[in-house]
Amino acid sequence: MSTNNTETTGTDVIKPSGWQELWSKEDWWAVWLGLGILILAYGFYLSGSSIAWIAVAPAKWSTLSQLGTQFSKNGINYLALLGAFLVLFSIVVSFIGQKPKAFIPAFIFIFILSTIIYAAGNWDQASHYNLEPPLVALVAGLIISNVIGLPRWLDAGFRVEFYIKLGIVLLGATLPFTLIIWAGPVAILQASIVSLITFFVIFFTARKLGLDHRFAAVLGAGGAVCGVSASIAVAGAVRAKKEHPPIAISLVVFWAIILIFVLPLASRSLHLPTGVGGAWIGTSEFADAAGLAAAQSYGGLAGAHVGISGTADQALAAYTLIKVIGRDIWIGIWSFVLALIAVTVWERNETNSKVQVGQIWWRFPKFVIGFLIASVLTTLVVHGHTLADYNKLVKPTLVTPIISLRTWVFTFSFLSIGLTTRFRELASVGSKPFVAFTVGVVVNVTLGYLLSVVVFGHYWSTLVTH
Amino acid sequence: MKILKAIQLRSSGPHCQDCAYFQNDPALIEAAFPGLTTMSSGFASVRDRDGLCNYHQLYLSARDSCPSFASRTADRNHGETETSVVTR
Repeated sequence: MSTNNTETTGTDVIKPSGWQELWSKEDWWAVWLGLGILILAYGFYLSGSSIAWIAVAPAKWSTLSQLGTQFSKNGINYLALLGAFLVLFSIVVSFIGQKPKAFIPAFIFIFILSTIIYAAGNWDQASHYNLEPPLVALVAGLIISNVIGLPRWLDAGFRVEFYIKLGIVLLGATLPFTLIIWAGPVAILQASIVSLITFFVIFFTARKLGLDHRFAAVLGAGGAVCGVSASIAVAGAVRAKKEHPPIAISLVVFWAIILIFVLPLASRSLHLPTGVGGAWIGTSEFADAAGLAAAQSYGGLAGAHVGISGTADQALAAYTLIKVIGRDIWIGIWSFVLALIAVTVWERNETNSKVQVGQIWWRFPKFVIGFLIASVLTTLVVHGHTLADYNKLVKPTLVTPIISLRTWVFTFSFLSIGLTTRFRELASVGSKPFVAFTVGVVVNVTLGYLLSVVVFGHYWSTLVTH
Repeated sequence: MKILKAIQLRSSGPHCQDCAYFQNDPALIEAAFPGLTTMSSGFASVRDRDGLCNYHQLYLSARDSCPSFASRTADRNHGETETSVVTR
């Protein structure tokens, strides 16, 4: 035995117990807040009232004076909404170990920008000028962060992943559980085909180019499963070298941002129905937030002058089914299998660990539980209502306010993607990882198109979302 | 079977999370991996308790272990934290 001394901050190691994860992880907070909002909304609905007064959102407008009238009339409601978000989100950041002092001004900044973007999206000429709010939010964020620049401490409010997870839980409240049961198996089948093929393409291309097994797996997971989240999950599972995750992150972010614009544009030029476009985006985009920006953007074209059939809800439903049910929930399995291969085949000498089965659950994206519970709750509440009752009673007092809150948090997320993407700070990737990943992107997008349009096109174009 | 032997239902012995070389604070991971917060998070469930090993220069699970384990025993002395590293 040898003994020496070293300094530590004493705060670098987090050792939460299983239960502590319930309040130390963003996933669980998305569940608590999302379901809390739903229960509150149901409570108001059952008492004959609604949360619509606080779930305020800009309405359609055609002149600036109309918009001004809207804001002067609902100014108190917007302040109440900002206050509610601030209180709830400050509680979250406190529990996960961040400083509300930095978060609060950053969130006020993002709320003001989101209000402007939300309002711009409701201009009656917005679609004429291609001002889809998700893309406007993303571009605005990119310009601000890369051209103008912001103080680093503002990043405390740009929690892309937390906002998108909360939005997905709220999205569950607007998707019938019957739809998840009906379309889930096809989503899993389609996503599994693409995920497996894409992973092997990236993995073997990377190996052919001489990259390390574990690095190839980290790249493959990023391109095949769920982007950055998959890359870091698999990196931890296979014990990647510490310089490898940043390279995979750079590649995912680079291609995900390109595909946010390319996939809706390609879908539009091919006049794909919204459900089909959503399925393609769900199959071929990498990260949840990036894909939702693309899917919501494409769904916004439904019924517009460009001749896209279907509804905005179909794009979101198809996207979410493929991405969340077909891809995200399997990350624990991917991690477990790859960890097993790393230990038994790739011969690691640095550690002597075995592979624990528990990581299938530990790495499970817990917000999906909230998404499913929200869907079940709404299905039970809506059950027994006729379509006329639903449209007259349930939709305006219960569903529309939830959609409004969902749109707010999605906008926070899309804006945060842009605000946190600083291209000059991303790790340089080198030609070999770039080639391996890019080959996977080409295969992924092509296969995603074939399965979404040619093989299952009829299926995705006829999704019933109400 | 080699594969079955590699699977473990419950871990035992010293783990990386108790090692002086291991760091897994989510904020530290977010700072160490540029772009992580753009499309994921240091506070995400998928990351479990993974962290950085400054001995092997790896990113790995807090539940891992290795022969270079060095226990972390912190003493508070005049407001400073001192760690005694015991290498087996």
